[in-house]
Amino acid sequence: MTGVTRNKTLLLSLLFMGLGHIILFKQFAKGILFALCHIAFFIFVPTIIRNFYGLYTLGHPQPELHILDRDNSLFLLMDGMLTIAFLALFLGVYVLSVRSALKLQKEYENTGRLPTAKNFFSELATGSFPVIALLPTVLLILFFVVVPLIFAASVAFTNYSAPHNIPPNNVVDWVGFDNFRFMFGGNAMWAGALGRVIAWTLAWAALATFTCYVGGFIMAIVLTNAKMKIIPFFRAILILPYAVPGVISLMVWSNMLNGAFGVINRSLIQLGIISTGIPWLTDVWLARFMTVAINLWVGFPYFMLLITGTMTAISEDVFEAARIDGATLFQITKKITLPLVLYQTAPLIIMSFNHNINNFGAIFFLTGGGPTMPDSTTTFAGGTEIMISWIYKLTVDMQQFHYAAVLAVMIFVALAPFAVFNFMRTKSFKEGEL
Amino acid sequence: MGSSRIIHKINAGVVLVFLTLVSFIVLYPLAYVVSSAFTPGNSIADMPIIPFTGGVTTDNFTNLFNNTDYPTWFRNTFQVALATSFGTLIVASLGAYTFSRFRFAFKKTFMMSLLVLQVFPLTTGLIAIFVILFRFGLLDNLWGLVLIYLAANTPFNTWLMKSYLDTIPKSMDEAARIDGASHFRTFFTIIMPMAKPIMIFLLITSFTGPWMDFIIPTMVLRSTPNHTLAMGLFSFITERRNDFTSFAAGSILIAIPFVIFFVATQKILITSLGAGAVKE
Repeated sequence: MTGVTRNKTLLLSLLFMGLGHIILFKQFAKGILFALCHIAFFIFVPTIIRNFYGLYTLGHPQPELHILDRDNSLFLLMDGMLTIAFLALFLGVYVLSVRSALKLQKEYENTGRLPTAKNFFSELATGSFPVIALLPTVLLILFFVVVPLIFAASVAFTNYSAPHNIPPNNVVDWVGFDNFRFMFGGNAMWAGALGRVIAWTLAWAALATFTCYVGGFIMAIVLTNAKMKIIPFFRAILILPYAVPGVISLMVWSNMLNGAFGVINRSLIQLGIISTGIPWLTDVWLARFMTVAINLWVGFPYFMLLITGTMTAISEDVFEAARIDGATLFQITKKITLPLVLYQTAPLIIMSFNHNINNFGAIFFLTGGGPTMPDSTTTFAGGTEIMISWIYKLTVDMQQFHYAAVLAVMIFVALAPFAVFNFMRTKSFKEGEL
Repeated sequence: MGSSRIIHKINAGVVLVFLTLVSFIVLYPLAYVVSSAFTPGNSIADMPIIPFTGGVTTDNFTNLFNNTDYPTWFRNTFQVALATSFGTLIVASLGAYTFSRFRFAFKKTFMMSLLVLQVFPLTTGLIAIFVILFRFGLLDNLWGLVLIYLAANTPFNTWLMKSYLDTIPKSMDEAARIDGASHFRTFFTIIMPMAKPIMIFLLITSFTGPWMDFIIPTMVLRSTPNHTLAMGLFSFITERRNDFTSFAAGSILIAIPFVIFFVATQKILITSLGAGAVKE
């Protein structure tokens, strides 16, 4: 075993997975497992080629066949994605095997002898913990997060939609950027709806986050500074909207604000304040206002709790010193509490904005995306529609999957900065150790 | 001194009025839904303006249990939420322990991808969730739903758990390793007991998510006996079927355990949320 050079190791490991382990280092357990991976790959080569071909064509129309025997474009697309995922896994294992062989070779170079031979099982037991422990994570993320996200994005480049391109009856075809062209101006009605929905999604997310933060901040200040015995009682009441599941609260509010039968309009009429019902959720601007207002009801306790928690973490000495200097409560709040709390909670404000962009429930259960707009019969987008609720309608009600996918791609692009932000703010990144 | 005391009293009065007003706005819808659950009749038009003045009956609850699939929905939802909660705990803590204690190839890439992926909500790819479960034969299956939730929960919770495990001194598990304990044994007997607070937090937060989710079950679950609570409750108050009192009865049965839990643990909630904000 004199000639175990780096080049020889590299060559053997690259030639066939696990070959280096078996021939050079006598690590049979690892070597055989790696080799089995490689053999499996060879067995599946025809399947891989067939799946790639399917991904390329998405199937051919076969009206002469029974419906279940025809090419199903969706399955072909999904199988193509899954094949890519498996190939990525295979490549990962390949790289791992080469690296592992090189590591053994380096050890040999440094010590001059091979690592002590172990029996089959103990060889597997050491060093396999990270692999076994991370396997569930890898498989879950790959097949139920990464593959679906890429699949959703690729549907944006097909014509998968009702009524003419729904598998298994008919096939779906690649159409390039046609859907993007259609949405971004090719069709005035859809482009108009898209512009309105984007603008409202951003405005809604900003307003919803801002109002809940300010509301929570005010309540936190009042509750911490009021020196009354009754305060814990109020605190218990104010926490309730956070405790009741949001879906339920929103559906209840939606019923209370019903124009004709809602308890709020009936109360106001009985009290003689109004004579006809206020169109809470059927007038566009009023409905938009109500989504923000009701979201404040649902969302302020979270920030109230959060800010109360942050405030208790601020040293009492700071407030004491300010009070001795004669600062009023307003001055203390403005000059000390607010900046400190803002600094501490800034990441959570951004996360909350990110959450509100996709806050399906807050819109869907209150207004259902409504009220109806002039283009709603064609585009299904109502006056308070946000991107995610529109995606839901296009997918579930209208089966316009290709347009829903265009919206999904736009959300991905819009959220990318948040992903970068998320990454930049981690401690490990800042300390340069990740 | 005297005038400042008066100002103080006025201030206290203003604060009291303000808090009463806010409390009224918070309590009114809740009182309304509780009263609806006990009011005879079905539609919202029948509900009295002042809560609890329209008569009292428990018919809505008996109706809920005898004439609807509510018990089945409840069982389904409970099963999904519980499985998701414990599944997330196992997957995330194993991953977190590995990230926190081991050095291995691709670790950096891996952790970065988890961080980036947690930003993109799975709900945007609704159709993809449908097709992939269809492909694996898991459509209209509660376990398919659990798998989706598990995958969606994993990135964030792994990071959360990892930052907590990083604070547990490595000497603890090294001592156990020297004594001859395997990695799995070290993990279950040394690390897990020390990470109890974060584990409880994780169990609770991953339980409440699936508990009231609507959008993914609608896509995945087809047949009525497989429906979950959020879907079932929503079906009570569609335009076709305006059964607000059954909805209210079903809702308060779900909400009461949550309310008791949150009000009882509000002190812990404040500190854990505060600590979450201060820590990174």
